[in-house]
Amino acid sequence: MTAPLLETRNLGKRFRGLVANSGIDFRLHPASSHCIIGPNGAGKTTFLSMISGHLSPTEGEIRYRDMDVTRRSVVYRARHGIARKFQTPSVFPELTVWQNMELPAMRVERRRKAVHERVQRVLERVRLWEHRQVAADHLSHGQRQWLEVGMLVAMNAQLLLLDEPAAGMTKEEKAATATLVHELVGDLGLATIVIEHDMDFVRLLDTRVTVLHMGSVLTEGVFDDVANDERVRDVYLGNQL
Amino acid sequence: MNSTVESTRARSRRRFGIDTVTETGVAALFFALLAVVPLFADDYMIYILPQYMLYGVLAMSLALLWGFTGIVSFGQAALFAIGGYVMGLCMGLTLPINPGYVGIVAGAAFSGALAGIIGYFLFSAGVRSTHFVLITLALAIITQQIAVSQSWLTGGWNGMFVARMSVSPGAQGSIPGDTVFYMFILVFSAGCYFVVRHILCGRFGKILAGIRENEDRLTAFGYRIDVYKSAAFALSGVIAGLAGSLYATTSGFVTPSLAGVLFSTQVLVWVAIGGRHSLLGAFAGAMLVASLSSYVSAIIPDYWQLIVGVLFILVIIYFKKGLAGLVESVGRWLQRRKAA
Repeated sequence: MTAPLLETRNLGKRFRGLVANSGIDFRLHPASSHCIIGPNGAGKTTFLSMISGHLSPTEGEIRYRDMDVTRRSVVYRARHGIARKFQTPSVFPELTVWQNMELPAMRVERRRKAVHERVQRVLERVRLWEHRQVAADHLSHGQRQWLEVGMLVAMNAQLLLLDEPAAGMTKEEKAATATLVHELVGDLGLATIVIEHDMDFVRLLDTRVTVLHMGSVLTEGVFDDVANDERVRDVYLGNQL
Repeated sequence: MNSTVESTRARSRRRFGIDTVTETGVAALFFALLAVVPLFADDYMIYILPQYMLYGVLAMSLALLWGFTGIVSFGQAALFAIGGYVMGLCMGLTLPINPGYVGIVAGAAFSGALAGIIGYFLFSAGVRSTHFVLITLALAIITQQIAVSQSWLTGGWNGMFVARMSVSPGAQGSIPGDTVFYMFILVFSAGCYFVVRHILCGRFGKILAGIRENEDRLTAFGYRIDVYKSAAFALSGVIAGLAGSLYATTSGFVTPSLAGVLFSTQVLVWVAIGGRHSLLGAFAGAMLVASLSSYVSAIIPDYWQLIVGVLFILVIIYFKKGLAGLVESVGRWLQRRKAA
């Protein structure tokens, strides 16, 4: 068994009286992906924010590549390969798709030619090559999601934190996104954590699933087992399946 | 169909908000026109236009921040005035080389360093743009107060006379005439423009555009945006300091009002009217509004500020991209007519 890429121990976040996360133990190995599901307010995004460094935990520890990163800044973590896609697509609206992609690529490559090659490679992978001259503002919602995921790949990320990557997508786009995530894990060896509400998409991803409920882990396992779990049906899936 | 192809092509030439091919052409033409002005202009114009050109350089220092990085500063006048006072002090020294050039370098370095330090303290503490505006406003007020109170150094309310610098590098150069000085300032302004343009088209400029568009995204890529913002403010300080040092020796005089909030506001108006997304627009806007103000104020001294104010409001409402945006749309319209 290889060492985990990411490990959280007893991770918790308290906002004054409100317990957003508590006692989360989580492990993720390189080149693997994992889904986090749960009802609204279960603390999914809070958990992701603590891993990316946007929120600092009130208890517990985050270890990444065998380093304690619990108190490290967003910039430090990003430079070591932790990359986050925000819940609403966060891109550079007035810049073209190409220019959007140049910004993360320039962070890791100094030479102009290397930046160029990297941008081209990633744009082809995220199916946006044809749209490279279009302003990001004019992309469809789904394309904007791909652009943001692509930008994370361009910045040499090793751990992708994807907050609702399939939100607002058509059925075809969802399938393409699931394929994309599989490619990123399979071909590029990236690790991904995906937060999702859409159970069709979670099924397509076909990964291990953790269910969060009221800030804690309710259960964890493969999708079918989790979906058939009585408690999960009670708190979350009852109305979806 | 045709229009999509066309707009794609037009966009591919745009580099992070700057249409490089067209703007270089227009800028070259503009500076060439300024170069032939002394052939037919009267003495007063040859005397006064260099001052307006330096206002233009000052306006570029704000456009770099406001239009390209998305940070508004009310402190540009302070940085300009500091450059001017430093030049005044340098011109009073006896040096083995031309004190004028020492003054230019020292003025730029002083304003640049001050802006860089202030910027770093604020941006690394996470101060956002709205608060930055207020702090730069305070910078203008404080600088003016110091210029008034430290009269042993600055001459207080009376201001400070600054001799005109010689153009030659040696210590004992002769004082140039107005036409020579006009060309000197023109070459300097054009040089400033092309250097800043070059910087903005490169890696640094792209990152500034990223900051303007979405700084949180950029931070999450691992960029230290506080460093880039401070660098942008420092660069803006260098340019404002350069312009201020030359302004002092061009006009022969610096006063505390040069550092004040009123003058800072004027710089904002110039840049808004000229077009904050275009360096050339800002430069031309400053020259135009400054010339217009002095022309109109001679005719109707009581109302000229009102006219400038109305112009400002019209631009804000109808031409958000200022004169530069207007010129651009006219250019596109002509192109489309030619194509049709």
